[in-house]
Amino acid sequence: MPDSTVTTVSAGWALAAAAILGLLVAFAAVLDGLFSARTAGAGPSGMTRPLGETARLVRQRRRTTVAADTLLWRIGSSGLLFMALMIVTVVPLGQWTLFDLDVGVVWFNAMDVLAWAFVWLTGWGANSTHSLIGGYRFLAHGLAYELPLMFALVAPAVAASSLNVGTVAAAQADLWFVVWMPVAFLVFCTGVVAIAVWGPFTPALGSDIAGGVTTELSGVDRLVFQGGRYALLAAGAAFAVPMFLGGGNGPLLPGWAWVLVKTSALLAVLVWLRRRLPAVRPDLFMEVGWVVLLPAVLVQDLLVAVVAVWRT
Amino acid sequence: MGLSNALARYAVNHAHVLLVEAPGHWLTRAAAEQQLLARGWLFASSPADADVLALCGTPGPEIAAIAARLWEQLPGPRARVQIDAPHLAAAAFESAATKLLDVTLQRDDSQGRSATPNGERHRDNESEGHDGGHDHGGHGTHVGKGEMDGGHAEHSAMDHGGSSGHGESGDHGGMGHGMDMGHADMGHGATSHGGMDMAPAGIPMTHGGEDRDGLELDVLHLRLGPVLPYWPTGLVLRCSLQGDLIVHAEVTLVDAQHARHHAGVRCAHHRAARRCDNAAGLLALSGWEDAAGRARRLRDWLLSDGDRGTTARDLDRLHRRIKRSWLLRWSLRGVGYLSAADVARLDLPGHLRGDTHDRLLSMIQRAADDIAGSADASSDASEHVPIVKIGDVVQGLDIATARLVVASLDLDPQPAASAVAHA
Repeated sequence: MPDSTVTTVSAGWALAAAAILGLLVAFAAVLDGLFSARTAGAGPSGMTRPLGETARLVRQRRRTTVAADTLLWRIGSSGLLFMALMIVTVVPLGQWTLFDLDVGVVWFNAMDVLAWAFVWLTGWGANSTHSLIGGYRFLAHGLAYELPLMFALVAPAVAASSLNVGTVAAAQADLWFVVWMPVAFLVFCTGVVAIAVWGPFTPALGSDIAGGVTTELSGVDRLVFQGGRYALLAAGAAFAVPMFLGGGNGPLLPGWAWVLVKTSALLAVLVWLRRRLPAVRPDLFMEVGWVVLLPAVLVQDLLVAVVAVWRT
Repeated sequence: MGLSNALARYAVNHAHVLLVEAPGHWLTRAAAEQQLLARGWLFASSPADADVLALCGTPGPEIAAIAARLWEQLPGPRARVQIDAPHLAAAAFESAATKLLDVTLQRDDSQGRSATPNGERHRDNESEGHDGGHDHGGHGTHVGKGEMDGGHAEHSAMDHGGSSGHGESGDHGGMGHGMDMGHADMGHGATSHGGMDMAPAGIPMTHGGEDRDGLELDVLHLRLGPVLPYWPTGLVLRCSLQGDLIVHAEVTLVDAQHARHHAGVRCAHHRAARRCDNAAGLLALSGWEDAAGRARRLRDWLLSDGDRGTTARDLDRLHRRIKRSWLLRWSLRGVGYLSAADVARLDLPGHLRGDTHDRLLSMIQRAADDIAGSADASSDASEHVPIVKIGDVVQGLDIATARLVVASLDLDPQPAASAVAHA
């Protein structure tokens, strides 16, 4: 069994981790800005859109609604960013990690489940029908993606015989897990896109219900919520690297650089996907989640388990 | 100061605009969309998201009242412009940008508003229902309820439950107060009055009703339209919801009496542009922004009398792209299926047969026919969708599918006001 080779760095480095996450968020947002400007077909390049959007929302006044559940509303809208920050604490950057947790994989899972609460609370708190419907749509998606996502996380953990993220990454020195567990990888990516309320999973923020969960968000609340979505996408991509994409393994470049390169590449794909795919209605996805994804990922787990037993 | 100036400039370069289209002025709205995208601005999906409120066309009294209430919901800094004609859009947005940058103006504006959701801020919210509003001032008065409710059409939440709760007692009074739509809520009064007793923050609780399985479930009243992204102009659908299922829907038009036909669909190019505009809305609602953007660009080319050959080719490309997307087909297949018998029963035009996916493709096909000039010069009158039937079409659907189905009906601008009048 391969041993974890990561060293835990002092807590002060958490700021650096947050900064790196911030850079990844900026990267994703600029990329998305470029893509959407191309769709619009006219106007500026979209390069400055993230900056402009931030400036706009910082300058905008915060508004509330009558009988809003302000506390829960604020908890919900800031929660996504919190989740993303908690997820990156267990992602090793090459040989360094902030938090060398024995059960890092479970930690990720615990964090991603919080999306249920946070997105729904954002929808609930505003005391508005549109945002409440948005919240329920997210829960419907959640019912379909959550179990497959959990079982997708099981596959790498079984193969590496460890729940420690560093150990899972080290177990892929010879062969990346994505190669022999592609189904688990795809389901994991679906889950990441879903917790970020991104791409096909945007009905919760749909324009048919005036922005859904975000209908009543303005100013800094909207900024933190939207930033949190990008951050979750980035954190999810970063977590996929040690789980499926070989962690810091790679020629020439040092481990930390490989982690960043792989994260950015996966993040770019996830951002691009949004342009290509229409939204998936929750009622339809429910069927897919339970009838297709869950059995597929269970078969994947079985195969991985058989291989793991056979190898020992 | 330098920093805040730079911040303001950046912010204004990326403003979000809430478009309110006066019935009959879709060309102005199309021009406004084109101009705002050219500036790098974006559409706002709700007032909370908007910096600029742009009223496209000359509004009738109802739309004007609605725009005034929406205006109260913009968080600020904010600017309001009216665009009277398509060619004035660019200048209007320029003036909006200037207003947004004017610190003194914005400061005065914000000082005139109260920060709590009381008084004017009340109307920011879902529950403005119990705010008498500027006109009547009576917190919790029945008249006030009807009033505000109408104004807040696009956004309403529990308040609709509330307003109907008072329908019996209050809305008759409300009618006397004129121009809003509060009185129209009477229709629901009978099912749900008397919620006044337990009213947190003045918002009456919802009331139960029997659902499809005969179980008691809360009935929520929600008004769809008239200001909602990708929603047919001037259409208001007063829905009773159980969960997010529409159990009953009633159709009205705003400013129906003031309908003018000056912006009808005159030439084949404009008809094709209208088809593209509708297709863009449907694609955007199905969550496919990219394809929606393409349809919108095609519309703009058609309206600017662009090159016919290129437009036809691009339209064909869009058609194929839509056909190829299995995810879209899977998501729209079977949605709002109308059989030949349904079409006949509801008196709908024949091209609406099939499901939403069929209708999307037929929309693009009809646009292509219009460009090619091969469309049988079908008289608009016979093609009109009788909009009173929309209520029947969406009954029993959830909000998401109802929105898709309404968008797929490919309504022409300025739905015939007479259809409602005689209904």
